[in-house]
Amino acid sequence: MRLGELEPDGAAAVVQARLGRPAQDALEAAVVLEAWAGLPADAALRLGRRVRLPADGAAGVRRWRPGDGEGRQGVLAEGVALLIAIIAVAAWAGPLGDALGGDVLEHALKVALPTTLALQWALRSRYLSRRAGLACLAEDRLALVALAVAVLAGLAAIPRFGPVAAMLVAVWVGGTVLARRGWGLWYGGLLIVEAVGLELGLPALPSLLVLAAVTVVADVVAIATASGVALAPPGRVSRALAAGLIGGLLGVLLIGDPSLGWGVHGAFPALALVPSVVGSFWGGYHLWTLHESIPRGLLGVELARASASMPRGPATSIVLGALARLLGATVVLSLLVGLTARWTSGTAAASLFVAFACAGLVCLFVSLLESLGYVRWALLCAGAALALELLVAQLAGSAMAPGTALIAAGTVGTLLAIAPLVGLLRTPGRVLATALWIQ
Amino acid sequence: MRPRVLMTTEGTYPYAVGGVSSWCHVVVGGLPDVAWSILPIHAGGRRPAPLFPLPANARFAGCVELWCERMPPRRPAPAARRRQPRPTLPAELARTLIGWRGDLGALVDALSWCRANPDALRPTFRSLAAWERFVAALLEIVAAREREAGPAPPLDAVDAATLYQQLYWVARTAAVPTPPCDVLHVTCAGWAAIPALVHQRRHGTPLLLTEHGVYVREAYLAAARGGDDAGARFLATRLARGLTLAAYAAADVIAPVTEANAAWEVGLGADPAKICVIHNGIPAPLSWDPPPGQAKVVSIGRIDPLKDIQTLLEVADEVGRRVPDARFEHWGPPTRGQEAYARACERLHARLGLGDRFRFMGPTSTPEQVLRDADLVLLTSISEGMPMAVLEAMAQGRAVVATGVGGVPEVLRGCGLVVPVGDVGALATAVATLLRDRAYAARLGRRAFDRVCGRYTQALCLARYRALIGELAGGAPAAAQAAA
Repeated sequence: MRLGELEPDGAAAVVQARLGRPAQDALEAAVVLEAWAGLPADAALRLGRRVRLPADGAAGVRRWRPGDGEGRQGVLAEGVALLIAIIAVAAWAGPLGDALGGDVLEHALKVALPTTLALQWALRSRYLSRRAGLACLAEDRLALVALAVAVLAGLAAIPRFGPVAAMLVAVWVGGTVLARRGWGLWYGGLLIVEAVGLELGLPALPSLLVLAAVTVVADVVAIATASGVALAPPGRVSRALAAGLIGGLLGVLLIGDPSLGWGVHGAFPALALVPSVVGSFWGGYHLWTLHESIPRGLLGVELARASASMPRGPATSIVLGALARLLGATVVLSLLVGLTARWTSGTAAASLFVAFACAGLVCLFVSLLESLGYVRWALLCAGAALALELLVAQLAGSAMAPGTALIAAGTVGTLLAIAPLVGLLRTPGRVLATALWIQ
Repeated sequence: MRPRVLMTTEGTYPYAVGGVSSWCHVVVGGLPDVAWSILPIHAGGRRPAPLFPLPANARFAGCVELWCERMPPRRPAPAARRRQPRPTLPAELARTLIGWRGDLGALVDALSWCRANPDALRPTFRSLAAWERFVAALLEIVAAREREAGPAPPLDAVDAATLYQQLYWVARTAAVPTPPCDVLHVTCAGWAAIPALVHQRRHGTPLLLTEHGVYVREAYLAAARGGDDAGARFLATRLARGLTLAAYAAADVIAPVTEANAAWEVGLGADPAKICVIHNGIPAPLSWDPPPGQAKVVSIGRIDPLKDIQTLLEVADEVGRRVPDARFEHWGPPTRGQEAYARACERLHARLGLGDRFRFMGPTSTPEQVLRDADLVLLTSISEGMPMAVLEAMAQGRAVVATGVGGVPEVLRGCGLVVPVGDVGALATAVATLLRDRAYAARLGRRAFDRVCGRYTQALCLARYRALIGELAGGAPAAAQAAA
């Protein structure tokens, strides 16, 4: 029998043999008959229309195919580096304060912290959270060098405390790039060496300058030697600017409460930051899996339920998991830091730990909003929280317990951020379709 | 005044190498009396760098980068004129593109709204109401029973979200502004047609569609071989079908590169009166040189499932047993996005132990020299229009062994060996026969050379496009007949 004389049943058998399954529709049957059975197109189309199709759609087995985004490699090392960074900075506070004057250090920290957070958020948004982010960063090196020089020169031009703030920004932002490169532990080692040097009586400003210079050089090497090519373009500039603004607002939130007394009380309050920073890091890392966990959780959920409410669905689970990690780590570590306060010249004031926990919460939820594309709402939350903090600090003055303004701000910011998330996360299909995949 | 032509491309010119890109470059550069605007559509990813320099008579009319993070274009408009989101839009696009019997008029209406309201697209697609209506529409589509369509596979929430995202990008593509022009030249019946459909609706500009491969056919082949789940396969092929049928319906002239494609187009519902076959052409060759006699077999093409490189490797293995001194070279880079396939080919190469008997040579900028150095040219594609690689091989006077796809049998009639797709034994026999019988191979090569000189020159191809564009730009209704 020649192929041109195929009957529909024979054609169906040919299609089944080629595809390993029945044809999906008449057109697929025709394509197979033409491509693999040698029928001319018109004959294949005619015969394809007569091939008997199955009565029910093939269910098949859904397989999860992980995305091709880079996973976060070396998360533990990144976390350890972060911890070392905070403890090292806490250890610097005394010697730097003695050498520069508590007032200078406090002002430098108050400028450096928001600037650092703004730059870190912007860098993460455009480069560091992306595939081959360092390669993208390398492609934009001229613009970035110009930006870095402008920022650092601008900071350094501020009288008295400006140069110190500029050096701190270089060290901290540079550390973010080194951590992304997988050199977080080396960076942590540098900070420890600096802390030990300061304790041994090295001159504060020159040694900080050397540290900043070494960090910048290490950044250049890290970017220049990063493997891979920029397979994907970097994030959009407007989004990075908005992220930078959010980061800056959150940074100001951290230093906006005058009762925290940055830099003037030895290790206090930098050590008190450790619990909430570690908690935020752990919670944030868990939240990082949202982009994979939601589609994985929705795999096999029938179409009729695609827009259904699932209060215990994958989106809610991930966010609650992140929240539990943040709160759990913060509470346990706060107790630990509080109990060891007498040996670390730190603080045991419970309100301070609560304040930083509130700051951690607002950061977590604001960053979630930002990552889901609700940038304006995230800005509103951060802005409203900051405005409230400044208002409370103004009204309460020195009568309030340490961190009261930050507690109020963190609480309001968190509640504002949670409001749209509650409705959104309940329907994971909607989160996936309208937020995660349409930015 | 020179006619102004907007050419839309998809994944090809000027950002990727391949037959379609080469053809675009020839047509754009070969018609200097036309003012070309090029609107490429590509799948995002790496920052694009043109691989073909645009000639002086061409300029970019923007670039549609699918899946990128850029926001839709903003239009300065008074607040009063700003439109509200259209929560029915995703459902409308689903019904018209994915439904078996989509209303093409409604599709173009919806796409035209996207052009008029680019600011509203993101809020529309991010709204709960749009998502819910889309899911309801998709449920209707899945439940619909059509005899030729067969039953839809069970779809899940991830399938729905995936399609929703694709339709967002259909809308974004429709929203891209197009420059004023006298003729729209669409180079494939898929995504490249979207901006043209909107432009045509708004300005009544004639639309010329050139099909190298048959878009929907290639989408089905890719889906069949891609190993996707039934749901993903269903949606991908339905979307390709919807776009193709819309392009056929809107086109004033459909210019396939081969009669084989024309048969598909008519079979898919295109009006036969619109169809005007214009063969690809290459520069007229100067002289014929006999093959070097080194038992070298060359293939040229991207490393892509449609080129069936795995069959090529198996043929090389089989030929190696029969003609031990045979050497194979494949010239061409992996298609972007098909890197996994390229790695699979390399694994097969290693498993077959081909070693230096088969070498992947990468891209070439001198295909003529590569072909001249060959004794035989091999093509194992499972889908082609009128492959430039075959025409170039013929122009160099080399015998060709090829699979009988698209316009290949028509081109190679009497001057090459045509065998069924995927038939390793037949391909190997044909190759071994010609390597052993060098006189026969040389005779076939000479005939191929003569055939190209007579029928498939660039001058002929360009003359027909010049006439067709001139007629379309002049508004003559019988453009196809004039060009024919």
